[in-house]
Amino acid sequence: MRIDDLPGELILWILIASEVLVFAAGLSAMVAMGLRDPQGFAAAQGHLDGRLAALNTVILVTSGLFAARAERDAAAGHRRRARIGLGLAGLGGLMFLALKAVEYARDIRAGLGMDGHPFYTFYYLLTGFHAAHVIAGVAVLALVAIRARPAPVQAGAMFWHMVDLVWVLILPVIYLIW
Amino acid sequence: MDALTRTWLLLLGLTLATALLAGIDGRLAALALLALAWLKARAILGGFLHLRAAPGWLGAAMLPLGIWLAAIGALCLVALG
Repeated sequence: MRIDDLPGELILWILIASEVLVFAAGLSAMVAMGLRDPQGFAAAQGHLDGRLAALNTVILVTSGLFAARAERDAAAGHRRRARIGLGLAGLGGLMFLALKAVEYARDIRAGLGMDGHPFYTFYYLLTGFHAAHVIAGVAVLALVAIRARPAPVQAGAMFWHMVDLVWVLILPVIYLIW
Repeated sequence: MDALTRTWLLLLGLTLATALLAGIDGRLAALALLALAWLKARAILGGFLHLRAAPGWLGAAMLPLGIWLAAIGALCLVALG
């Protein structure tokens, strides 16, 4: 196992590890807080719509496929195909954000505010912080699509997969296990 | 079918399994949901982020992730009584 074996830039792996650690710390704090009031956390989670979260998982992993294909196309010198893949991946990100906005609007209409219960404080903070990463990821995908060179496209795709990776860890802890 | 498409199909299958398990209450279901999250993370790291092609690195990434998810699972077991 050598550092040189890692695909892509080392700094991106440091970023990925850092982001996973930040979200893991937040999720751990949430679960630890839930130990004090498991019934309250279960009741609060019961008001969330897990179907929208599942649909968003499908959207994110599909956009991850487009980003991975764009990376492969850019490496092969197919810039136009890489741009199309990056565009589709970015579109997936926008669809994710639109669905998240629908979910937040539904939650707020139902009176599930951030200060209503500690569960919702973590819910809004963690999913909101993740949504901020999705916005940043869409911007990164758009930027690297301009020239569609192999190394920047690979970096953009790696950032996008990190967003995907964090989401699959958030999903069970926030939406499902209580 | 290429490796990227296989990874995507695996992720869709794991997401479907997650959705099916989500309707079940109890400790075993909670642990299974965390195990599915670990498998999804493995598919993303190995297939999309290409760690499968980097000797030793996929295991090095998945071990701490597995320990963390196991700790979350243990805390859930305590919370669920």
